[in-house]
Amino acid sequence: MENDEKKYEDVIKALKGLMEVKAPANFESDLKRRINSEKFPKEEKKSFWENIFVPSRLIPSLGLVAVAVVVFFVMDTNSEEMDNPFLIEPRVREDVFAVADYEELEKRQDELSKQKSLKKEEPIVEQRKTESQLKSSEDKMISGREKAGEIEGLTDEKDLAKDQSIVADNLAEVESSLTVVTETPQPTVPAEVNAGMVTGQAITKEELNFRQVRLSTEEQKVVNELKNQVQSLEKADKTQK
Amino acid sequence: MDIKLRELSDEELILEFQKNNTEDAFNILVQRYKNPLTNFVFRFLGDYASCADVVQETMIKVYRYKDAYNSLAKFSTWVYTIAGNLARTEYRRQRRRNLFSINDYGEDHSTYDLPDESSRPDVITDSGIKDEIIQKALLKVKETYREAVVLRDIQGLSYEEISEILGVNEGTVKSRINRGRAQLQELLKGIYKD
Repeated sequence: MENDEKKYEDVIKALKGLMEVKAPANFESDLKRRINSEKFPKEEKKSFWENIFVPSRLIPSLGLVAVAVVVFFVMDTNSEEMDNPFLIEPRVREDVFAVADYEELEKRQDELSKQKSLKKEEPIVEQRKTESQLKSSEDKMISGREKAGEIEGLTDEKDLAKDQSIVADNLAEVESSLTVVTETPQPTVPAEVNAGMVTGQAITKEELNFRQVRLSTEEQKVVNELKNQVQSLEKADKTQK
Repeated sequence: MDIKLRELSDEELILEFQKNNTEDAFNILVQRYKNPLTNFVFRFLGDYASCADVVQETMIKVYRYKDAYNSLAKFSTWVYTIAGNLARTEYRRQRRRNLFSINDYGEDHSTYDLPDESSRPDVITDSGIKDEIIQKALLKVKETYREAVVLRDIQGLSYEEISEILGVNEGTVKSRINRGRAQLQELLKGIYKD
């Protein structure tokens, strides 16, 4: 340190020999005037929440949040996993078959028509079930029936027989008097129709997947009574005219 | 003004001002520090008008933020730190202003040399010529080195005090002082020869 001071002795001497600069004569009066004129409002420390909810900070932050939300949803919709169509296994179409001879084709068509006639009765039974039961998948229903064959098989068979007997009883009456037919909301083309198209068979009305509401005998009676009343009223109107 | 107050040290005076808001204690401190601070700031800035403003601003800050003073530190260190910070800010502001004002008048972005009014014979006296040259040389020294040199060689503060004021360790202070002195020596070669 001493070496350094010796080295720069001249400089230090020159600096120490500088005249002392003094404050102006009116320094203190000016200072007092400034102190008195200046008001010193105490800066109260605002809390964290008060600082955050200042409009100048809230608006940009809300804007940022809104942008973040929009970006999140945009990114989310884009990030849906797309299955590679080349890696998806093709659906096995059981309704399409290859035949070598025309005779074989006829045989297969007969088999299909038999299968269709068996399947026709299934929807009527299913209509009786509640909506919650309908929601369960077809596989579950089938497997459930097969598995529970030992336990519930008897009851199911009884129900089925009952349904079939009701259907048989009501069929004539329903056809003669009133048949309420509504379209099912299923937008897809049923497999049977598809099969018909493939095999070249004509599609009958029964084969279409219509929901047929069949009325019980008591309901039918009520409907007939109402119908008769309406007819009698119409006749009375006509006579009056 | 109370005679007893005059006998108190700087630290005792500021404590008195803190606790009892004694204006006289503050006034004594102003009397004690107005000249040393003016000298320090002037040697750093080289401009008397702005130097007086900086020192007044320093005293106002002492008045306003008296509670910020920590009794463990020396009052001189605290007040020099405030003055140094304000002087640095003012120096940078002046430098920016000069840079823009000079360039604004240049047609082809060239800078003009300002006429040196201090060298006018009616402005300077013979005794002041040397001071003027040294002051000019001092202003050419790098800002960080200049502050350390002024505090050490003109204000006569210890290395420890300077390290506290500048917020750097003593080694750095010594290094800055030596580099500043070296630059000054180079700038003042002509004076020594004469």
